[in-house]
Amino acid sequence: MTGMSLHKKLEENTGLLIFGILVVSAIGGLVQILPVLNQESLETPTGSTQPYSAVALTGRDIYIREGCSVCHTQQVRPLIAEVERYGPYSRSGEFVYDRPFLWGSKRTGPDLHRLAGKYSDDWHRVHLLDPRSVIPESIMPAYPWLEHAPASGVGDIQKKMQVLQRLGHPYTQEQIEAAPQQLEGLTELDALVTYLQQLGSAVSREEAP
Amino acid sequence: MLPLRALVMPRETCRQLSSSEPGALTILFRYAIWLLLMPPVFAWLGAYQFGWRLGADEPLMLPASSLALISAGYFAALVFGFVSTALISQWMATTYGANRHLGRHFAFVTMVGAPLAFASLAHLFPHVFLNVVILIPAMMWSMYLLYSGIATVLETVPERGMLMASALVGWLLVAAVSLLGLSMWLWVAGIGPSLGV
Amino acid sequence: MAAVYEEGISTLKAVQAEIYRDKVVLRLVQFSIVWAIVAMGAGVYISAELLWPWLDFGQPWLSFGRLRPLHTNGVIFGFGVSALMATAFYSVQRTSHVSLFAPRLAWFCCYGWQLTVLLGGLSLLGGWTSSKEYAELEWPFDIAIAILWVSFGVVFFGTLVKRRIRPIYISNWFYGGLIIVIAMLHIVNNLALPVTLGKSYSLYAGAQDAVVQWWYGHNAVGFLLTGGFLGMVYYFLPKQAGRPIWSYRLSIVAFWAFVYTYIWAGPHHLHYSAIPEWVQSLGMVMSIILLAPSWATLINGIMTVSGAWQKLRTDPALKFIVLALAFYGLATFEGPMMAIRSVNVVSHFTDWTIGHVHSGALGWNAMITYGTFYFLIPRMAGRPLYSTPLANLHFWLALAGTMLYIMAMWAAGVSQGLLWLNLDETGELRFNFTDIMAGMAPYYGLRLLAGLIFLLGTCLMAWNLFMTIRGRDPVEVSAPDVDPLYEVKR
Repeated sequence: MTGMSLHKKLEENTGLLIFGILVVSAIGGLVQILPVLNQESLETPTGSTQPYSAVALTGRDIYIREGCSVCHTQQVRPLIAEVERYGPYSRSGEFVYDRPFLWGSKRTGPDLHRLAGKYSDDWHRVHLLDPRSVIPESIMPAYPWLEHAPASGVGDIQKKMQVLQRLGHPYTQEQIEAAPQQLEGLTELDALVTYLQQLGSAVSREEAP
Repeated sequence: MLPLRALVMPRETCRQLSSSEPGALTILFRYAIWLLLMPPVFAWLGAYQFGWRLGADEPLMLPASSLALISAGYFAALVFGFVSTALISQWMATTYGANRHLGRHFAFVTMVGAPLAFASLAHLFPHVFLNVVILIPAMMWSMYLLYSGIATVLETVPERGMLMASALVGWLLVAAVSLLGLSMWLWVAGIGPSLGV
Repeated sequence: MAAVYEEGISTLKAVQAEIYRDKVVLRLVQFSIVWAIVAMGAGVYISAELLWPWLDFGQPWLSFGRLRPLHTNGVIFGFGVSALMATAFYSVQRTSHVSLFAPRLAWFCCYGWQLTVLLGGLSLLGGWTSSKEYAELEWPFDIAIAILWVSFGVVFFGTLVKRRIRPIYISNWFYGGLIIVIAMLHIVNNLALPVTLGKSYSLYAGAQDAVVQWWYGHNAVGFLLTGGFLGMVYYFLPKQAGRPIWSYRLSIVAFWAFVYTYIWAGPHHLHYSAIPEWVQSLGMVMSIILLAPSWATLINGIMTVSGAWQKLRTDPALKFIVLALAFYGLATFEGPMMAIRSVNVVSHFTDWTIGHVHSGALGWNAMITYGTFYFLIPRMAGRPLYSTPLANLHFWLALAGTMLYIMAMWAAGVSQGLLWLNLDETGELRFNFTDIMAGMAPYYGLRLLAGLIFLLGTCLMAWNLFMTIRGRDPVEVSAPDVDPLYEVKR
């Protein structure tokens, strides 16, 4: 009966109850998350993984803004069929500059992690503006508003890079200074296509399964 | 024929059942077994003849031996589902003040399953959407039989019957999803269609 | 002499008697129903967009990617949390035999929350999103949510502290678990450095961010959609059944096992991903163990209700609760099953996941809430429900809608999973992605129909409850005397 009498204390004292719930619920998270946050291999870039360029970063923020990750995953699982369909499976080191991660949870459309170079820039442009003109069965929304909006309008790029720099992304001062210039004259569509065209390019098809 | 009667005149059948005490094995081997055989046999025939049509244009053809194995598994799962549902129903009977005669529970489950068994004719052309469209109304019919018949057949008050029927629906949903999960497991283990995992 | 004494005591009691604060409860219920219609409406709309993509009319804010977070956030935070706040405020007063602590703060929670969800929803349409599922709202809203959540906790625990009855009733543990754990998850997962008002970068990157996010995402489901609503069950089910919970001891064991186990299960959302293997395996094992505490509560609920069958004759609300328990049983079984790696490998990323979520969200969360509302509103109005036949019709619509929804998604999900992975004799992929996707249209059609049926039922309920309460304030109820045996001695 000691268990029940202990519990009697707990169920008659609000403070103890709060404390009990906090402790009991925290254990699982601590055991799983702390080691993962301290695992260096998860923070070590793979091969040629680089921080996103100013243009690609802008494109990525557009990808986030439009909720692309609602229907497209960015993780190729280490399964025969998936490697065959999409390309080499995803490595943790490829995502070290992904804030937030964009792995997604639903494949209404195909996985995009190994999208780089599968289609031409022009194909992407046409597809984003009018998906059904290139894939008649497609149910993807069209994104006509990307065509004319300037890429520089997607937030202050220098400030973004500075924030990321503070979070540990190795941007140099020159890169940050040159950023606005790189966006000049580009549309949101250009930026998004740039991002899509370098998705998963750090691991090449020949290098790894 | 109990299953056919259940479809044509459910009320009458329920009333007759409520005054009978059939043997569980008699029900199982005289009536239920045929209903339980229908879906796997139709599934085998359909898949052998036309292949699985899961939405893509090209049907998925499987070798006859593989199909036989799947159908045998399907049959085993259905028999297990049938017997366990009847046993669970008998086990629940005390809680809901229902008759505990096992044969009665076997007969009731047979009756409730009849619409689904006959609807499994759709397996003869294993186009998934066609099957969904035919099986969903059949399932609603089965649920109607379950909710409307339970109090009469198992001799309890309608309200307690409603509770018991809902508990059985909970169990049947779990059984259905288990069948799905089990199939995945077998496919991944290499039995059935070839998956690149 | 004795008579004078008696009289004095009763006057004293009348002065002390506390009147429960139910106006804020009623207002929260009303907001919750409004959100249910808005957010489920958004769900129906986006399910139509999957059939007819031109339905966004080239407008960014009508685009699927922006409307879907509005649907999920609206349902979880608008409909769900408003209902949880309402029922928590209602039941904590009655199980403590005192009125709400800091009633003004409770009103602040009520309106502050609605404003946050409203503006947050608009910001999602405007493209402000962190893209982390169920935590999409950007940092200004995260801060607002944290402040409101703490206020919610102050009102709730403050009421518990001033309670007049010694034991803290079990429903309050679940509401307490909801408040504490969601606060912890929300704060840790949303840590980010802001760039502008509508943009921030997560403190975590890549695989680490994934682990933190699904620790949050899975346990938001666990402690909000499961634990919070179990609090609702533990108060309203015995209340409606008119009998105590079947086994108090079982509920204690189930509670602590639930709080301990649930938190481990998040990584099953990341099977075969680039997170460490041991985390995936641990997540899978704990997900399977989770079935035990989940079903312990299920048995407790079913056994409590099974003795209350007489009530079914007069009370349409109880039916919803009975069915909610059946779907709770399904969803809490289906979840662990889908967490098994060799099932997950086929089901992951498919519409089966969507079906699983909705067997919980429609069959369990919405039904239990509807049952509670059908119980609450007539009591507050002090008159019977406007129309019982309408409530019965709603019951069958809700059941049909949910069944149709999950069946359609099961069929779609299994087909997708199988066709994506299928290889031919030469080991080549047999089907291309576009063909498989195009083949899903009939299921999406069925799902749209299912959603419409369910939404129609919800609208009927809104009308029914509106007509019941129309023009009335909640009936004033004061706290009854406490059994001296259980009274708090101050």
